[in-house]
Order: sequence, then C-alpha cells, then structure tokens
Amino acid sequence: MREQQSAVRFTRVSMQFSGVLANDNVTLDIHSGEVFALVGENGAGKSTLMNILYGLHTPTAGDVYVRGKRVERYSPAGAITMGVGMVHQHFMLVPSFTVAQNIVLSREPKRRGLLYDFKKAEETVHALVNEYGLSVDPGARVSQLGLGLQQRVEILKTLHRGADILILDEPTAVLTPQETDDLFAVIRRIVQEKGMTVILITHKLYEVMALSDRVGVMRGGRLVGLEETKNVNERMLASMMTGSEMPPGQFAREGSAGDTAVEVLGLQTLNDRGLPAVKGVSFSIRRGEILGVAGIEGNGQSELVEAIAGLRPLRGGEVRIRGQRINGLLPGEIRGLGLAHVPEDRRLTGASLQADVTDNLLAGRQREKRFAVGRIHRKRGAARQYAEKLFRAFDIRGAGVDAPAGSLSGGNLQKVVVAREFSFDAPVFLISQPTRGVDIGAARSIHQSIVDKRNAGAAVLLVSADLDEVFQLSDRIITMYEGRITGEFTAGSIEKAEIGYYMTGDRIARHHSGEEAL
Amino acid sequence: MSDIFTIALLQNTLRTATPIILAGLGVLMTDHVGIMNIGMDGMMLTGAFFAVVGSFYLGSWLGGIAAALLAGVLLGLFFGVFVIKLGSDEFIIGVALNIFAGGLTVYLLRTIFGVKGAFSDPAIVPLPRFVWPWLEGIPVIGPLLSGNTLLVYVSWALVLVCWLVIYRTPLGFWLRAAGEHPLSLRSAGISPERMKYLASLLCGVFAGLAGAHLSLGYLTMFTENMSAARGFIAVACVIFGAGSPPRVFLAALLFGFIDALGLRLQSANVNSNLTAMAPYLVTVVMMAVLVVRTEARKKRQIQTR
Amino acid sequence: MMRLLRSLLPGRRKLGFAYLFSLAISVALALLLGALMMRLTGYSPVEGYAALVKGAFGTRRALGNTLAKAVTLSMTGLAMAVAAQAGIFNVGGEGQLFLGGMAAAIVGSQLTGWPAAVAVPLAFVAAITAGGLYALLPGVLKVRLKVNEVITTIMLNSVAIYLCAYLANGPLRTADKGIAAGTNAIDPAYVFPRLIPLSNLTASAVYAAVLALLCWYVMKRSTIGYEMKLTGQNPRFARYMGMKTDRLILWSMAASGALCGIVGLFEVYGLHRRFIPSLSNEFYFDGMLVAMIMRYDPVGIVLMSVFFAMLKIGGTAMELGVGISSELILIVQSIIIFFMAAQSGLARIVRERRGRRAARRRIEGKNVPQGEATS
Repeated sequence: MREQQSAVRFTRVSMQFSGVLANDNVTLDIHSGEVFALVGENGAGKSTLMNILYGLHTPTAGDVYVRGKRVERYSPAGAITMGVGMVHQHFMLVPSFTVAQNIVLSREPKRRGLLYDFKKAEETVHALVNEYGLSVDPGARVSQLGLGLQQRVEILKTLHRGADILILDEPTAVLTPQETDDLFAVIRRIVQEKGMTVILITHKLYEVMALSDRVGVMRGGRLVGLEETKNVNERMLASMMTGSEMPPGQFAREGSAGDTAVEVLGLQTLNDRGLPAVKGVSFSIRRGEILGVAGIEGNGQSELVEAIAGLRPLRGGEVRIRGQRINGLLPGEIRGLGLAHVPEDRRLTGASLQADVTDNLLAGRQREKRFAVGRIHRKRGAARQYAEKLFRAFDIRGAGVDAPAGSLSGGNLQKVVVAREFSFDAPVFLISQPTRGVDIGAARSIHQSIVDKRNAGAAVLLVSADLDEVFQLSDRIITMYEGRITGEFTAGSIEKAEIGYYMTGDRIARHHSGEEAL
Repeated sequence: MSDIFTIALLQNTLRTATPIILAGLGVLMTDHVGIMNIGMDGMMLTGAFFAVVGSFYLGSWLGGIAAALLAGVLLGLFFGVFVIKLGSDEFIIGVALNIFAGGLTVYLLRTIFGVKGAFSDPAIVPLPRFVWPWLEGIPVIGPLLSGNTLLVYVSWALVLVCWLVIYRTPLGFWLRAAGEHPLSLRSAGISPERMKYLASLLCGVFAGLAGAHLSLGYLTMFTENMSAARGFIAVACVIFGAGSPPRVFLAALLFGFIDALGLRLQSANVNSNLTAMAPYLVTVVMMAVLVVRTEARKKRQIQTR
Repeated sequence: MMRLLRSLLPGRRKLGFAYLFSLAISVALALLLGALMMRLTGYSPVEGYAALVKGAFGTRRALGNTLAKAVTLSMTGLAMAVAAQAGIFNVGGEGQLFLGGMAAAIVGSQLTGWPAAVAVPLAFVAAITAGGLYALLPGVLKVRLKVNEVITTIMLNSVAIYLCAYLANGPLRTADKGIAAGTNAIDPAYVFPRLIPLSNLTASAVYAAVLALLCWYVMKRSTIGYEMKLTGQNPRFARYMGMKTDRLILWSMAASGALCGIVGLFEVYGLHRRFIPSLSNEFYFDGMLVAMIMRYDPVGIVLMSVFFAMLKIGGTAMELGVGISSELILIVQSIIIFFMAAQSGLARIVRERRGRRAARRRIEGKNVPQGEATS
C-alpha cells in the first residue's frame, strides 16, 4: 500500500447543540486523493461533522487539521482558503443570479476598479467548464435550471474557489438516475485526473460500494466503523449503521381487503412553482389494504397526497372517498368524510410549534361534545386529560402536555402527529414519511399502528422515501416517476433491487407498465 | 383645466416626490437584504428635526445635512442591532421606532426651542437653490431642471448610483445575495449580517437626506409629524418598483404628482381633505392592482409553458 | 421580494413569570432612562415623576380621566389583539375608529327625539358596521389577493381620517356657532352619563368592561378563539386540521374593526357629543403598543392599559406643572418595547454562550481518545 497523505484529520471532535450531542468524540483521518464515504442514518452526525470541516460550526471540543494544518477559526471563508469546498444538500445558490454570477460570488472580476465585469466572469466560468468537462451555460439563470445542473454549478463553484477537498452532502437525493451516473463520472474524473479528495455523505449503500475507496460509518454521533470499501458489503454496512443486524420486522396481517374506499381517477395537480407535478394518476385502495407509493422524492408523491387531502387544488381528474366526490371540498370537509392524514412535514404542516402539546393533540376535535359545551365553551380539563392519555399511550417523551410542541425532538413531535391522526377512527388514512427522523424503536411502534389500522379495516395510502418501509408494510406497491405511475405490484411479487428501475423511469419499466415514452 | 396643469404643477411634483424618492432608496436598500423597514417614517422625521438643529446652530445648510446624516446613521445602526444582532421582529422595532421618533422630536422641539407644533426661524439656513438662467429659456424642461434645491439633484443622481451599485457592482450582488439566499453568501465567505448592517446604515443615510429635504428644502422649518406617512408611501413605492431604483423613482414621481395635483385642485376650490386623501387611496388601489397583475402574468407563464 | 410578515404574528408565547419579570425590569429601565432625559434637559426627575403620579391619581377627577384613558387603551389594544390572534395585523384601527365615530354621530344627530334605548343601540350597530366593514376591506385584500395588510391598513387610516374631516367640514358641517368643524350634536338624551363628575369617565367604561370580558372569553375560553389562535400560529396547520382559516381571519378582522368603531362611538357619545375631526389623537397606536408589549394577552392588555393611561394622563399634568414635555412619555413607552424586543435576543445570546461553555466542560471531562479503527 502506498504511503497515504492526510487530507483531513479530525481529532476528538465533539459538537453539542442545545440538548443534543451531534458529534461525540470523533477521530478520523481522510487521505489525500481518495473518495471517502461517510454513511449513517438520519441524525447520525455525518452532516454536522462535515459542516464543522466546512467551518459552518465551531466544534465544542476537539480539533480539525487540513493537510496537517490546524484549523484556528472556523468559518467558510477559512475553509475555502484551506482548499475545502462543500456541496450542500440544499444548494447554496442565489436563484435570480446567473450560473456565472453564482460561481464567482465573493470573488467577482472587476473593471475600472469598481464595476462588475460580467463578460470576464462568464469567460472564467467557460474556461472552468471546459477544463472539467462539466457542461452548463454560464449565462443561464439558476432558477431556470434543473436540480442536476444546479448541483453541477455547485461543484463548479467549489472548483472555482480552488477547492481540492470536496464534500458532497447526499448528492444523489434529488437526482435522476441519468444525472446520478453523470455525477459519478464527474467524481471519478476529478479524483483520477485532478487528484482531488472527495468526501461523500450518503445513506445509500450502493453508492458507497460503487464509488468509494474507504467508508466510515456513524451512529448516534460516534464513528463506529472505518473500513476499506473492498473489505465490506452492503449488509455489513447496514448492520453497522443500525447497530444490529435487524431482521426486517414482520407484522401479522389479518383479514382480507374489502370494498373500495378510495378511488383516484386521472388526478392532475401543480407543484408550488406552478408546474405540473402529478400528470394523470389513477389507483384505488380497498378497505383493509395498504397501498405503498415508492419513488424518489420530488416525483409528485407529496403533491398527490396534498391533492387528496384537499390542501392542493386539483387540475384534472377526480377523487372519491367512500363513493363521495371530493373535488373542490375544503380539507375539513374531506376529513369529515372519514380521512386522517399524517403529513410529510411535521413542522410546517403537522403541528403548531408555538401551541402546547395539548392543543396539538386536540386539534380537529375541539368542537366535539366531550371537549366543548354547545360547540363553543371549551372544556379545558377534559382536553388536558385526553392529551395526557395520548401522551402516555404513544410514549411521547418531553416536558409534558403543557410544553410547546416546538420544544419536542423531531421523533417525539412525529409521535404527537401520529397520535392525533391515529386517534381518529377514520376509514381512510393518508400517511406520508411516517418515520422520518424517528428512532428505530418508535418507528417500529408506528409501523405496528399502521398495520393495526389496516387490520381493523382502514384503507391506507403510504408514501415513503424509505423503500424498506414500503416493502415491509404494503399489500400493494405502485411506483411513481415524474408525476406518473410507472408500475404496480402486489407485495412479494417484486424484489427491492428490481423496483429501482420503475422508480427511476427506466425505459424497461415504462415498457412493463405500458406507459408511453416521454 | 389649463390653470391646473401648468409647469408649476410639474415643479411641485418634483418637489414633493423628492423626499419619497430618497426615503424609497433607503427602504430599497433594506428590502434587498430582506428586511422590511417600516420605521422609515420615524427615521425620516428624526432626520428632518436634526437637519433644522444642525442648520440653526451651525449656521449652514451643510451643518444641517451633516446632523441629519448623523441622526439617520445612528438610527440605522440602532435598527440594525435590534433586527440583525438581536433577531427582534423588524415590524415591532419599526413601529416602536416611529413612535420613538415622534416622541423624541416633539420632546426635543419643546426642550431645545421651547415651542410646540412648529419651529421656524430666520437663522435656519435652507438648502441652496440652483438657478440657471440659460436653462430656463427652454420650454417645460428648463423651468423643471432649473431652480430646484440641492437634494432634488442629489436624489436624481442617487437613483442612478443606487442602480449602478445594486446591479452593476459586486457589492450590489452581495447585498442581494444576503437578502435572497444568505446561506449562499455565507458559504462564499462573506457575512450576510455585515451586508445587512451596511444596508441598514445606508438606509439611515437616505432617511437623513430625506428628512433634510423635508425641513430644509421643501420648507424651512420643522413641524410635528412632518413626515406625514411619507415613509410608508416610500415602502409602497419599493413594493411597486420591485426593488429597482428607476422604477421606485417613477412610483415616487407618481405620488408626487398626485400630491401636487391635490394642492392645485385645492386652489381650484376642491376640498383639501379629499385631495389629501388621494395618494393614500391610490396606494391601496395600486397594491391590489399590482398583485392581480403579477398573478395574471404568472398564470400566463404557466399556460405558455 | 418582500419578506412575509408572518413571523411577527401573535400569540407566540404565553405570559409566563419570566416574561412578566423581564417586563418589570424593562419598565423600570425605561423609567430610569426617562429620568435621565429629564436630568439632561434640566429638570428634576423626582419632581417630574411625582407630578406625573399626582396628575394621574391625585384627585377624583384625575383618577376618572386616567380610568377613561385606560378604557380607550384597553379597547384599542384588544382590537389589535383580536386580529393578531388570527394572524392578521390590523394597523388601521385609527381609521376604523374615525368611521365608527362618524357613523355613530350621524345616527345620534339625525335621529333626534327617539328613546335613547332605541337610538343608542342603533348607533352601536352603525359604529360596528362602519368600523367592521372598513376593516374587512384590507382583510379581503389579504385573504383573497395576498396584499400585505400592514401597508394597506396604514394607508386606509389616512383615507378615513381625511374622509371624515371632509364630511365634518363639508356636507355634514354643523351650523352651531363656536364649532370650528364637526357634525351636528347628538341628541342630549343619548349622551352617556359621567361616572365621576367633571372627569372623562362615562358609562363607556361599563360597555367597555362587558366587551373586554367578551374578548377575553372568545380569545381564551371558546373554540373559536382556539381556532383563531392556531390559524395565527400556523395557518397551514390550521387548514390541514380542517379549520376555515380564511373565514376566521376575516371575522377577527371585522371584530377588530368593530371594536375600533365602538371606541369612536365612545368618544362621540361620552365626550365630544358630536363628531369632530380631532376625535382621536393616535389612540389606536397607543393601544397597539400596549397589545404588542403584552403579547396580545387580554388580561395583560387591560392591566397594562391602566399603567400606560397613568403615564399619558400624568404626562400632561407633568407638562403643565413642571414643564417637561409630555412626549417624554412616548419615548419611555417605545423604550419599553425596545427593551422587551431586545431581551429575547439577549437571552438567546447569553444562553448559547453558556450552553457552549457547559458542553465544553462536560465533554472535556470525559474525553478519552477513541482511537482510529483499522485503515
């Protein structure tokens, strides 16, 4: 083995956020010229560690060395000077600026001492584009680029700033398969031809296997494993990430599907930017059935769920819940027809963070007889008792039902949302990303609750970016890609590896499902 | 009608538009860094007061402008510390700033000059007025360009300078990045907070100039609450102008015109209360129209896609 | 382009002990700064504040005036709070107040000779309608077109004030001698009786007490208040939970305007007996300050109103007696807000520093090298 030069060295780095130890005494050496993958579940501390390297956080304890030089002051400016660049999960681009303007931001070429030299900026970027073979139009406005190109702009930006250590935070989360392939090619090229060091933060294990030289595994803020990629396989990494070789949980399914509870016919709706997001989707769900929706995030699943819940206007098609057409009804009216909904974003939609836990658990029931006299006078004692009951039943941990919901951790806030929605005796459940950021024990109990609802005869639409979750719980699975359904399967009729084709709009998948090519 | 639409009407338009232009440029600065400065009215009022103080005690209009600028910069810094450093709500601070300015100026008016309501004195030196006889010969343009006070010309120049800075220099890009996507600026190694402070300070400078024009250019006196909600109209102008200095300038001219027209109609025996109402009513109507129009444009864009 | 004002909206946190404690400190510091200003401008703070307190509570009449001012402040403060609870910022109460007063004055001066038991309720209806509808206008603009309500309400203030001034100087101008501008006087039979002779405290206080109780009940104890609160805190969440958020916002805006209209009626039927163009001297803005300081809590607003009324009424006495301009009170009041606004930010900064230090100590205490895994 050749002598390895250290590119980055963390020594006993710890990072404490209010109440959470995000990094716990991490010591790690990353070699020059390698692709290093850092894996772990959500909240394992990967991003925090890399944000420290990029100077966005000052570690609570410990030191970071870049090429042997200790980092004195933590700031992005300092990191840039030391040759560290980072492509964040959420892109750091100014939407109204052009590609070139974003790339040269903070080091703009000038003419006559003061004025911005737009021409030179574009020329510089053009040269950069040619040097690295990352083609993108320097004059295009970033707001008009797709996410794959935006990511490319991010990479160019770090290269322009002279980075030779490049951190990529979950780079493929928003990419199409073609874009992912392109990205991988770019990474290989800059490592092999330009001798750069790439640190890849991810939780997709096949990316680790495909791309990296070494891999570090984080769990609960600690570095729990450090291996040469060729010495490990996906299964070993998965068990290191979760802490045990978890057998996929099996849930007892009882009863068989009954009559149709939800019918969706040719549904179309727009996303927040006013572009078509769901382009004519049809399916139905029967009572006692869980229909899982598999897909890479951003392929219209969120908009589909919001449209059914009445939170997003339909632009075509129709939805029937238990035979009732819901087009144009308010969310409250749709709930009245027997729908409960766990939304994907608990902080923005699922809860009021300023309101206390009681108010959050009570919402939707405030006018029920047992909580209000004559629908007007609130019975606050009854509300509190009810909230305490749910609080205990769902094992919510926090300062109690009088504390603001915003003071709860993400997982416990999710339990509040789940507790509230599952307390409705609804025949139809829309459930989006039910266990995102929730610890394993709580996730399991949420899964059990979902299956219990199914066994009790509810129709469930389950949308999740977590493929394991979809496979574990669903009776039927549909795949979505670019606003269309690309495949439909009964549980057990397809392997996880195979479904990826359908989720990525592969031509084979289109062929299978009879969709016409775009 | 002919005695209403005269050169004097246009001259008055320029005169009344100038404080709104200056205040609008100030609001625009904070708007670009993502802060809505509802406290502009109070900052302007304070500027107007200290312009009179400076001019009266130092015996020169330059002293007046210097004092107004100092007051404006201090208030801008004050606003910045609260909104940027302490993370206070910009709206509450703005409202409090307006009340504070109203109280402070009247209190000081009483304690320094011993008068209530208004203070005028021959010792207050007004801003210089520039008259170019050779220009006045040209019809319409001549009388408009000649005979204005200093800050009228300065405001025109500043519209151009602001536009240049915001859209044609790196600094302007940093300011806009600080408002539009602060994290991208921070990750480029420039502190968005620093940009926000800079904008707050510049806002204070413009507020000071706007105030100085009110009390030394427009009139040569200070009266209680003489900003008369012009700071708010400036905010509305920035909304109409979508942050672009020339468009803010045009919006301000429109308000100046309505204001001046009101004064003219008054002399034509239209009730002064009705004419005074006009600029405020127009603001409300225009805000609604603006929203309806942008909505319609968005719809068209989606359909053409 | 312009950042939405959502963040500033209402009912964020409760009035806890910590909040009241910092409020007390802020008030004390603001009064101290006021004292400093008196000193600097050549007055004695002791004399000044003594004159202030005496002027506010010294005589029965002064006490009556202070309470009357507290009534106005509570009503306008509650008006602000009712709208803010549902997430809309009504800065236009001043205009709603003028229109309500005008409407009530028209009823009282046109329908003369009716029994007061009929005419006064009619005047209430007129004031509520005028104020409520005028508030609904920016409300509809916000809900339907998403037009920023802060600017529109501020502009509509000026529109209403000038409109009323026009009416009082023009079409509705009284022929009574000695009245510079104003409508005809209302029928003397409709005038509210004074509760304390020679003072401004009238039967308005009784109506106000009932209204304040109603506000408190609706905001704090009713299901509607609960729905308003959730709408104000997170409209997306409220909608998702099935609340009719648009309707809640519009109703609370209308209620807010109605309250302001009633304040206008109080001024006409209690004090001036006719509409005059100087009916209110930014009463709504004073109430708004009180509401903001007390975080839109109805009980807090009523209590704080008494304190602010003392400053206001005492301030005038201080000006007459000691010569200190009463505007000092405005300065003191705005400084209270500055302190309150600063304290959460300061507390956050201190907390972060302290948390960082504590964490560092804890981590360094248990820091055992972890050692590198195989490489």
